[in-house]
Amino acid sequence: MTNLPNVLNLKPNRLLAELNAIRAIVIKQWLHTVRYPTWVLQLLIWPLIFPAAYILTARAFAGPEQIALPVFNAATGTDNYIGYIVIGTLIWMWQNIVLWNVGLSLREEQLRGTLESNWLTPVWRFSLLIGSILVQTVTIFFFIAVTFLEYRFLFQIHFQGNIGLVILAFAVAFPSIYGIGITFASLVLRIKEANSLVHFVRGFVMIFCGITFPISVLPGWMKSVSQWLPQTYVIRAIREITLVGADFNMVKQDLLILLGFGFIWMVIGYFAFTFMDRLSRRSGSIGQY
Amino acid sequence: MNNNAIEAIQLVKQFKQKKSKKAEFDKKRGFFQKKAAQPIFTAVDGIDLVIHRGEVFGLLGPNGAGKSTTIRMLCTLLEPTSGTAFVNGFEIRKQPTQVRQSLGTLLAGERSIYWKLTGRENLMYFAALYHIPTRVAKQRVEELLKLMELTDRADEMVEKYSTGMKQRIAISKALVAKPPILLFDEPTLGLDPQAARNVRDLILKLKSEGHTILLTTHYMEEADLLSDRIGIIDKGKIIALGTPEQLKEQIQQKEVIHLEISGWFEQLEHVIKEIPGIDHLIVKEGENSSLQNISLQTVNSRAAIPLLIDKVNVNGTHLVNMNILKPSLEDVFINLTGKALRD
Repeated sequence: MTNLPNVLNLKPNRLLAELNAIRAIVIKQWLHTVRYPTWVLQLLIWPLIFPAAYILTARAFAGPEQIALPVFNAATGTDNYIGYIVIGTLIWMWQNIVLWNVGLSLREEQLRGTLESNWLTPVWRFSLLIGSILVQTVTIFFFIAVTFLEYRFLFQIHFQGNIGLVILAFAVAFPSIYGIGITFASLVLRIKEANSLVHFVRGFVMIFCGITFPISVLPGWMKSVSQWLPQTYVIRAIREITLVGADFNMVKQDLLILLGFGFIWMVIGYFAFTFMDRLSRRSGSIGQY
Repeated sequence: MNNNAIEAIQLVKQFKQKKSKKAEFDKKRGFFQKKAAQPIFTAVDGIDLVIHRGEVFGLLGPNGAGKSTTIRMLCTLLEPTSGTAFVNGFEIRKQPTQVRQSLGTLLAGERSIYWKLTGRENLMYFAALYHIPTRVAKQRVEELLKLMELTDRADEMVEKYSTGMKQRIAISKALVAKPPILLFDEPTLGLDPQAARNVRDLILKLKSEGHTILLTTHYMEEADLLSDRIGIIDKGKIIALGTPEQLKEQIQQKEVIHLEISGWFEQLEHVIKEIPGIDHLIVKEGENSSLQNISLQTVNSRAAIPLLIDKVNVNGTHLVNMNILKPSLEDVFINLTGKALRD
């Protein structure tokens, strides 16, 4: 019999090979993104449009000469209601984009018919989500930069505080936001129709995490629910840093809680993925549309 | 090294029926009776199979017979309910990564690749997923593009390719890691005759290079042409196994008569079936809607033909054409199952 050289004989360093696979997943995902160029337009428009609706409503409710501002200040600790809304809606949009893009990444592959092709290779299956997250992170970084620049130059909003601390707050929130995305991606492998679930989760975040209002205005039971959502803490921490000029010690507790949530959500995400993968292999639903 | 490329031992796959089926089931059972277990559908029912290294094995059967389910278990996309299989010596449950490293699998053809990537980008992507270093992958992809005569179109997006070209990229994807074993699920389905012939030529070339190939198809001629051995599968069981010649020898003493009849009516089927010595009558839709194609088997055509002519040429019904043929694999299948392959 002909001795066929195959991948078993190559014996590459497993870690390097896996990193190379993740690199290929990132390139593939990126090529798909840039080959649907309307995303660039969305990236410029949404950071401006979405908060603008809330900002204009707030401006109208503030009354002549913005006489309601002292009341707002008493509740939030800042007069900068535009910045307050922009930070809240930015975190909401971050979670929203992660749900749509990372959360539905496997489902998109399933609909395209390519999920099985990926599953047939020896690559670590979780790498497919890691690749998707990496591409998403670049997009989100761009999204955040566009948001700050647009509000800086179009609305003359001045964000203060230590930029390093802002980056730290985003980094600490990362595992929670993406852990939820991974859990979501895993559930979608089984549930298939995920749109209504996305709407539910983002609606939940919108109401309970105070994206445009202080949590203090919520009824007691709703306040209790908001304490269990990591988005509540990242919104609060970044508002404190950028609008009030809080230092590390002032936001330390929120950042630690976020780290705890991040660990929990990453573990939930990984086990949800493993469990759903197993369940799909039993039911044969990997390739089903 | 074990001489078996693939070995399946009592492989079983059962699926739970959907809720609607269960509700129907419960309704029939009655309200006050104890609830029964969820109904189960057995797609693969205890398959034992050995495929030797370097052979092309054709798994032949109608839609829903269990061909694709078997392949999906072998390539680790599906977990067996019971039983097991070894691929290249690796157990499918305990060593799924090694199994996938040993296999090149073609499922769902043109939909299994990315249409928004070029042919070359697709192959480089899957090479990385097979853990092939980039330098080696580039060389391998060039070889494959040349083999598939796609070098000139390699940098165009797949969405611009014809169905045959997409299928060639999908096959290249299965070959990119030079795996010793290939699983091809309906590789010529939906292809035009020329493209299908190219794929069949390629399969013969891959066999000559030493690959083991498990091929599923419901095209009898394809299985006959390509396979060293054939397993006929029906209702999840392998009901016959052997070389195409051995299978055809099972009904060698029989002759197959193909008839074209105009003015066909349903009762005529029962009339023909009553003729002594005739069995396995199959009624097929003809290409011409005014004619009905009939296939039947007999041990003595000399005795059967005069009776056939007498019975058919009545009440405005006419025998338009008749051929007496050697048994084909399709006739073997009809003989075993009593139905045509495309039923």
